Amino acid sequence: MKALLFIETKGEKVLGGSLELISAAKTLDAEITALVVGDRAAADTVAAFGAEVIFVDASKNCCDTLTEVLTKTVKEVNPDIVLLANTAFAKDMAPRLGARMNFGCVSDVVGISKADGKIVYTRPAYGGTILEKIEVEGTPVVTVRSGSFSKPEATSSASVTEKTVEISAEAIKAKIVDAVKEISESVNLEEAQVIVAGGRGMGSAENFELVKELASVLGGVVGATRPPIEDGWISRAHQVGQSGKIVAPKLYIACGISGATQHTSGITGADYIVAINKDEDAPIFEVANLAIVGDVTEILKGMIEEMKKIKAE
Amino acid sequence: MQILICVKQVPDDSIEIRLDKASNKPNLSGVSMVANAFDTYALELAVRFMEANGGIVSVLTVGAEDASNTLKNCLAVGAKEAYSVQDPLYADLDGLSAASVLAAAINKIEQDRGQKFDLILCGQESTDEITGQVGPMLAEKLGTSFVSRAIAVNLKDSALEVNQETEEGYNVVSIETPSVVTVSKPDYDPRYPTIKTKMASRKAVIPTYTAAEIGAEVQAKVRYNEYVEPPKKEAGIKILEKDVTLAVSAATEQMKKDKAI
Repeated sequence: MKALLFIETKGEKVLGGSLELISAAKTLDAEITALVVGDRAAADTVAAFGAEVIFVDASKNCCDTLTEVLTKTVKEVNPDIVLLANTAFAKDMAPRLGARMNFGCVSDVVGISKADGKIVYTRPAYGGTILEKIEVEGTPVVTVRSGSFSKPEATSSASVTEKTVEISAEAIKAKIVDAVKEISESVNLEEAQVIVAGGRGMGSAENFELVKELASVLGGVVGATRPPIEDGWISRAHQVGQSGKIVAPKLYIACGISGATQHTSGITGADYIVAINKDEDAPIFEVANLAIVGDVTEILKGMIEEMKKIKAE
Repeated sequence: MQILICVKQVPDDSIEIRLDKASNKPNLSGVSMVANAFDTYALELAVRFMEANGGIVSVLTVGAEDASNTLKNCLAVGAKEAYSVQDPLYADLDGLSAASVLAAAINKIEQDRGQKFDLILCGQESTDEITGQVGPMLAEKLGTSFVSRAIAVNLKDSALEVNQETEEGYNVVSIETPSVVTVSKPDYDPRYPTIKTKMASRKAVIPTYTAAEIGAEVQAKVRYNEYVEPPKKEAGIKILEKDVTLAVSAATEQMKKDKAI
């Protein structure tokens, strides 16, 4: 079977979630063609994983352009499956491609398996409390949740073919006329190995600093739920959960977080979850490997000291 | 400006939905059906736009269930017209078929009211399926421009500009009308109805169409095979030690043991 992968890039760097698509395609024993738009160096990076690459030099910040390039490439390659990492761009492009080509679209897939010659996609619904097993008739467009598949191994290098795609003026109906930057920090939660997150239970912006300090000591990224963000203790670039980022770190420490579904649905991919909360019945404890019931400010202060000692050893 | 909000009726998302072991389907018994949260944000955005710039805000739902309550609730918070497409043929719509039905319904309604919609809004995703597919697919079916994640829509020299939420802030996107725009969460919350608006909405007569009247053929390509529960996490270890120092050392010992640090 033929798989067409849409590879997303940031600068010249290839998104981890896009590379994971190569592993996803390999579980289907599919012949892989990868589409890279805009960054020539990124095309070479992808080819190093053994995937044949089609490179198109076009504006990769324009949704209409990307959708047009993807559609034309799909028509030419005629794949049996189209795979994208589930990012903001993919959420726009995948359904638009689906509608243009009359392909069924499955979003936020966490698992792909073969049964009786059919492919079954697993994805979360209702915030992750229920998993759906889905089949698609005909060619599917599939967006895959980051962290659902492993990073591929570099094999022998495949080739990069440069192609030009004609984009008619009529195809561009929405134009970005300004990009306003309100948040200057760049936070990579999706690829973080360690995340220390704080919720409403931290109590104040001052106490929230302890969350940042523990993250720093552990070399991790700071996460947050909606209340600290709405109260201005931290920017929304740190939001973890249904409305924020879905994460899959090795270690996730939830501080003063009650564990509402909108948040926990974003952390089920974590290998090990530690939760600190004064409420013994907090729902977060249902998903935690290790629960510490107590005053989160005191516990954090103690933990920061302990971790500093351990790091010094 | 003629604005239409496509509203999806979903289970109340403040209730945690679990699998019903008997039917192996989501257990929705006792859960009220309400307008999808993001659709209510879209409605509020549209009503504010209408209050600032004039025009009419209409709402539309499609499906197999009776949505008149949900539609009346929309009328009670600023929508001026409501339309319903209800037909048993439209149970189990996948994204593609929902978009096709909506497109056909919109064409029919525009014919009947004698005026086209300039702006069609959808919530960026529904809280039950959380796919976010229908908005972009609808834009393709109608052949309009498309922008996602809107947090504001402004009139600029009789053209539309949409503020699109990004990781660092927002893009300002200039769009041609007609346009389909999906809405994220603006800075404000949807308004509440007043007793007056609630009573008035109860009396509203909502045009309801059947599948035959709008002529949309439905062929779902995406099928739900099965529902399962996510793997249950083994009960974790709970530290209830009152002494902070002891609690912290017990925790770090356990984390070392479990190779978490």
